Amino acid sequence: MTRFKIAKVAELQGHDERAWNIAWNPAKPLLASCSADKTVRLYHYDHATDSPDLRFTHNTTISTGHTKTVRAVAWSPSGLSLATASFDANVGIWEQEGGDEGEGPNAGEWECSSLLEGHETECKSVAYSSSGTLLASCSRDKTVWVWEVQPDVDFECLGVLMEHTQDVKCVAWHPHEEILASASYDDTIRLYIDDPSDDWFCFATLKGHESTVWCVSWSPDGRYLASSSDDKTVRIWKRVKEHSWESVLVLTGHERSVYSISWGVGKSNDDASLGWLASASGDGQVMVWELTKPSDSDTAPMSSTPPGHSIIARLEAAHGVYDVNAVAWCPRQGYENILATAGDDCSVRVWKVIPE
Amino acid sequence: AKATGRRSKPSKPESFWDDEEADVEVDENTVEPIDQDEIFDLIRHISDPEHPNSLEELRVVSAPQISVSENRVIVEFTPTVPHCGMSTLIGLSIRVRLMQSLPPRFKVDIFVKPGSHQSEHAVNKQLNDKERVAAALENPALVDTVEKCLEKAESWGA
Repeated sequence: MTRFKIAKVAELQGHDERAWNIAWNPAKPLLASCSADKTVRLYHYDHATDSPDLRFTHNTTISTGHTKTVRAVAWSPSGLSLATASFDANVGIWEQEGGDEGEGPNAGEWECSSLLEGHETECKSVAYSSSGTLLASCSRDKTVWVWEVQPDVDFECLGVLMEHTQDVKCVAWHPHEEILASASYDDTIRLYIDDPSDDWFCFATLKGHESTVWCVSWSPDGRYLASSSDDKTVRIWKRVKEHSWESVLVLTGHERSVYSISWGVGKSNDDASLGWLASASGDGQVMVWELTKPSDSDTAPMSSTPPGHSIIARLEAAHGVYDVNAVAWCPRQGYENILATAGDDCSVRVWKVIPE
Repeated sequence: AKATGRRSKPSKPESFWDDEEADVEVDENTVEPIDQDEIFDLIRHISDPEHPNSLEELRVVSAPQISVSENRVIVEFTPTVPHCGMSTLIGLSIRVRLMQSLPPRFKVDIFVKPGSHQSEHAVNKQLNDKERVAAALENPALVDTVEKCLEKAESWGA
């Protein structure tokens, strides 16, 4: 098995307070970060001449107008809209003036095209569905909201899901179906679908974590869901029936809360690879696991056989002595081994996972 | 534990939060030993939100309830009564005090003494959820209350 190392590509300073989250634009070379300083920073990247390495330059800073921490950022699949989730209870939708016409990093100002109000307390996460037609948000008010993205950046609330008994920390959409996952301070994960003749509803509750579930991330093929928790573990849940998911694997190694995970396709030579799963923790470590198809994946794709797993890379003190709050793989083709992290040291760092 | 080189004044633990000592946190790689008495000195004078007394006088905190390893501080405190509604506020005050005073390499965990509070699990969980703590510290009314609790601790010995 190839061993990999996590090598630093860039260290992006500029936030004045804790950096909470990052999001890679799926269509353009742009990385967004958000912070307790209430701003969003956008970075452009390209290849320096005569160098294989990526070069990051600060593109713009959006003074969001949010009155409290910007906790999370998410791009629409088209890369034209950016959503912000703030402790001020609102979700902001940001678009660049002339952004759908022109290329170039300085096409226009980023402006708030919609402000989604409805949550009663801190909004903690926001996510676009794979088609870009739905948006989900969640809050300490225990609710998950599903919004329909209508033409002309109009948003209509399709449902308010009140399943969790506590603070909801994270929402994530399935990579190609309209299935929504939410993770909570109540230690559970809930899965939701739309009933075409009725409302959105919760069809599964995943129990197993022993404390707050901080983050959920789907496998690129959509057959697995990963979750990370204050119990220091990462769990892998497998689809065993159309609407049934089972815990099949527990990944250990972190020594404090695992705040964030990201499951990317990775850059593996193994045909059985299910991709690379990165995790970030309050212990300062970033870990990367490779997950592989179980031996019965062709004959019994929905068996409860766990996927194979191995740690392929591990980085201590990714942000010095500080907590690592978020980790995200670049989703763009050719950049499958590029990773960004956000830390309590106010910095955003970019890494590449390369053979040792 | 005596301070080494980087601190110019005689090493009183209080110097951790003197303004002129703000550079104490700059070098995050130098490991400076800190013991439970120094941690105790930082929190003993915090006031109870409902009493004029300090947490030490009310026996809410004590040195033996603090443990320190290289990069981790665990503070246990004892609410005055098992249904004390102020417990999360007391815990938050302790957390803010340590956040402002200790070098950033320390991970701080705060718990109520086992069996001392009827909502022990809920209080512990809230105090150790960094996101809940961060949001609480953006609430001006709460910050105001915490600052009042910390006033004496911050002025003591200055």
